[in-house]
Amino acid sequence: MATKVAAHYISEKVSKVRWLPEKLQQSDRFVTGSWDMDTNFVRVWRLHSNPYAENVDHTPRCNDKVAMENDVTGLEFVNNDTLAVSCADGHISILNVQRAVEEDQIERTARSERLHEFKCSKTSAPCTAIAVYGTDVATVGEDGCVNVLNASNLKQVKRTIEADSMSLLAVTYVGQHQLVTANRMGVIRMFDTRSGGEGQPKIAFMAACQDAKSSNYVSSIATHPMQQHILICGSEEGSITVWDLRNLEYPASYLSAHNSPITDIGFHRQDPSKLFTAAEAGEVWMWSEKKTHIDPSQQDGKSAWLSGDRVRALVNVDGVLTNIRKAVNSFDVHGTRLVCGSDTEAVYIVDDIL
Amino acid sequence: MNDDIVPQFELGDVLAMRCGNTLTASFVPGSSKIAMSAYRPVKWSSRDAPTDTAGEDPVLIYMAEETTLYTEPLLRSLLAETNATFETLQTLGQAPNGVLKTQEYMKISRTYRSIIRCCLEKLEHAKKMPEVQENELKEQRYTEAIMTFYAIECLWHLFEILYMQQQHNQMVVPQLLEWTRFHYPHTEDRATDLLLMAEEASECDSYWDTLKKLIMLGQLDVTRAILSQHRKSNQAAFQAAEAILKSMPIYQDGYALQKFCSQWEYWQVDLERKLASHVFAAEPELEVLMHLIKGNNESWDKELLKSQDWYEYLPGYLLYTRPTCKPFELRIAVTNWLNRWSQLRPNWQMTQLSRMVMQLMEHDVKLFIYDAQKLNDSHWFATHLIDLIYHTGHLKSYFEQQTIDLTALRHSMIFEYGSYLMTSHNLWQLGIDYLDCCKHEGTAAIELLLPRIPLRNERQAFKILALAKRRGLINVEQDICKVLSKRAYNDQRYGSALEWATRSKDVLLVTAIADFILKHYSRTGIMLCQDVITSIGARMFISPRLVFLSKYYEFYEFYRQRDFLSGAELLINLLASKITPDYFWPSLLIDALPLLESEDPKIFSKETIAILQHLEMELVPLIERNKLNTAKFNNQTSKTVFKDYRVENVEEILDLMRLACARNLARALIIENTAPTS
Repeated sequence: MATKVAAHYISEKVSKVRWLPEKLQQSDRFVTGSWDMDTNFVRVWRLHSNPYAENVDHTPRCNDKVAMENDVTGLEFVNNDTLAVSCADGHISILNVQRAVEEDQIERTARSERLHEFKCSKTSAPCTAIAVYGTDVATVGEDGCVNVLNASNLKQVKRTIEADSMSLLAVTYVGQHQLVTANRMGVIRMFDTRSGGEGQPKIAFMAACQDAKSSNYVSSIATHPMQQHILICGSEEGSITVWDLRNLEYPASYLSAHNSPITDIGFHRQDPSKLFTAAEAGEVWMWSEKKTHIDPSQQDGKSAWLSGDRVRALVNVDGVLTNIRKAVNSFDVHGTRLVCGSDTEAVYIVDDIL
Repeated sequence: MNDDIVPQFELGDVLAMRCGNTLTASFVPGSSKIAMSAYRPVKWSSRDAPTDTAGEDPVLIYMAEETTLYTEPLLRSLLAETNATFETLQTLGQAPNGVLKTQEYMKISRTYRSIIRCCLEKLEHAKKMPEVQENELKEQRYTEAIMTFYAIECLWHLFEILYMQQQHNQMVVPQLLEWTRFHYPHTEDRATDLLLMAEEASECDSYWDTLKKLIMLGQLDVTRAILSQHRKSNQAAFQAAEAILKSMPIYQDGYALQKFCSQWEYWQVDLERKLASHVFAAEPELEVLMHLIKGNNESWDKELLKSQDWYEYLPGYLLYTRPTCKPFELRIAVTNWLNRWSQLRPNWQMTQLSRMVMQLMEHDVKLFIYDAQKLNDSHWFATHLIDLIYHTGHLKSYFEQQTIDLTALRHSMIFEYGSYLMTSHNLWQLGIDYLDCCKHEGTAAIELLLPRIPLRNERQAFKILALAKRRGLINVEQDICKVLSKRAYNDQRYGSALEWATRSKDVLLVTAIADFILKHYSRTGIMLCQDVITSIGARMFISPRLVFLSKYYEFYEFYRQRDFLSGAELLINLLASKITPDYFWPSLLIDALPLLESEDPKIFSKETIAILQHLEMELVPLIERNKLNTAKFNNQTSKTVFKDYRVENVEEILDLMRLACARNLARALIIENTAPTS
């Protein structure tokens, strides 16, 4: 792999990073959210070609920023220029990005009521993750609740589910109305956003763990972009558990990967044969399905990820970023470019990833 | 950058002034602030009574905090980036020694400098922004930061030239010229202007001044270019000057020194002869230039009066007088030069920067390091430089001569700097890397400081836990989990509390929370946080009480699903398990009652006897004991002792239980003994 990595120090611990969606071309704008700073910002960046150094093609420049009330915990695009941001004060906001020739602009258009709070002390509970399906936005928080809202009307919460009695760390949509959440114990639950309270299906399964006596939270979950029944979770011990949602009795595969908690996991949007994982110890790995290796069992359309112990033989692992030594908190891939945000207070841009 | 001025605080409010402006102060726990208030000096002989003016003036409390440059976000990137370079250096230090290592160290040094320069550039840029221009305080902060880091870069660069390279036979003059060129860019800017003006330049007022400065900075090529554009450049004097400048021998690596020296001498004599024969007499300004090149003291002295700092033209002077100067010869040259300078400018005050430059050139590294620690950069410079010195080992013998323990010095600098970062708000992730280099003390400091980072949310807590885990600091992990468990418990989030407690692996805490859940159940009949208990799995083995809780919950679930047979079996196991807490005995035995009394028998005779045995051996003595205890507080009955929602009266329950057992035993015995034996 001939990849070029460029680090850009931006004086902020980055908790989330996302490319701006572009349909036909390589995106050259991205947004970052910061955490643990005096003032946390959501910033929009733009890549400018770099006339000086020969090894670095582009340098990002901050075009605009919006100050948030607390740590940014989630960033997802609802459509081309609308961005849902979850914040550790229990609120979410909708930001609007305006692409321009010179300076892009970003502004806040709406902010929700407090969605997550601890019932007894009436203090705000951090909103920990966010997921988007169409215009629906689902949030989870440390209070164990799931809230579903519509991005165009943040004042009205469509559904609140008291999902768990401890904090939820990750959420994702597996269908238009199906949500999957993961909690601090590694318990993954499935919910239906259409029914409230008692009507919820009681589907719960647990992420595998090497040492059954220690806790193993699931920090991130992702679904396969084409085969929606494949659910992949990254956990505290650094392992990856794959589930086939059609058969929840046991996990389809289990891979021990990183030595530190996985912080982010996700498939390449356009090329689902590639999976990326980021870890607390400062690593980003790329897992690619081997194309040449076709055996009969695979021809029934079964994904390599569901093949149990044989996954290792069917998938290649490459280190995209290693040796950063501090947590890579988030990444996003668009086309051939990968951007990572890290606790080193830098963003890393990797070119020619494929 | 004024040094030797100790900052002073005074309160000066009415109350403080009344007793002579004295104050008292104490550190505010959990922060780096100091709280100060007025104070009346009290001696052993003063009378312990309120003063006449007591209560007249308000007591004002002032909060003071150490100022730091790093509150400015732009400077954070400097810290973060140098942290990465620092780590690279540590790994490099552990690698086996090799030839290339010196070059690698050089690269590291340059990386540090380029980080500073990049940061300076950003600061300069930011300073020009309108929002900074309007805010005087902010602008001043920027100016201060720029000054500090500019000085640091300047000193680091000089250090690199003098101490980082191979020492033998090395010529310092060309590099020193480069150094001054970098730090006095004004002349060069002027020169560029002149070059662009081409022929018109010669009419410019500053033409000759600029040329003189260029000569004194040793920039001969530029001088020649400008001179060749002069209107009279075809005249003999200019042609001769061009020839002199062109033919000046420049020492190059690998050139025989002897040969160079003879060439140099020849060139010098030639120039002298030309000056003596008044070749340049037609152009007096040009003649001054030539005198400068000759190293004529009078001409130099005249120009020196205009220079900004003592070291500005030193490298240039060396170029014309001692072009082959070696680092160790520099010391003498500098002393002479400084004597000359102080005679010329007796009233001139040395700034900290110029003094530190002097220390470096005079090979007074000890004092230099001492002064470096006085810079307003929270020891950033001193720490990183000393670390680099330690790794390169170039100054090893120097420090040995000076009886300075370099290893200990480096250790303490890194330790202090790391602790500073760890304790200042949101720089802890950087600080921990420095403390990691400090062996036992570092580990101990991490162990103390890590749990003191304010926990704002779980995500941050997990990061701290991961750091602690990587370093094997089990105590820190436990402490943090316990704090979070307690916090959740106080907030009535019992599921969360239980999970944090199991993470902490603290038996007492887990037991306490399990106890709470069991007691709450026996009091109200409501089982708390069922989802957590269901999925607790193998983690239950931390505490026997938790094992009991999850096993009891299993029974509770069987019961709810009307799977009485499995339920009965589990219940008998629980009764026999010896982990039942005292307060839960009544609850547990009452749970057996419906099973004993159900229409179709569910419990065998043997088990019934066991239940009866537990009833008599465990519960009855328990009640007796409790009665004995409560007898002392007369009007309490056993009812209040066991706060079970189903227990109206324990004695009544006892009778009911005995009856039920007897009935079930009779029934079970009959069935068991009449059953067809196979």
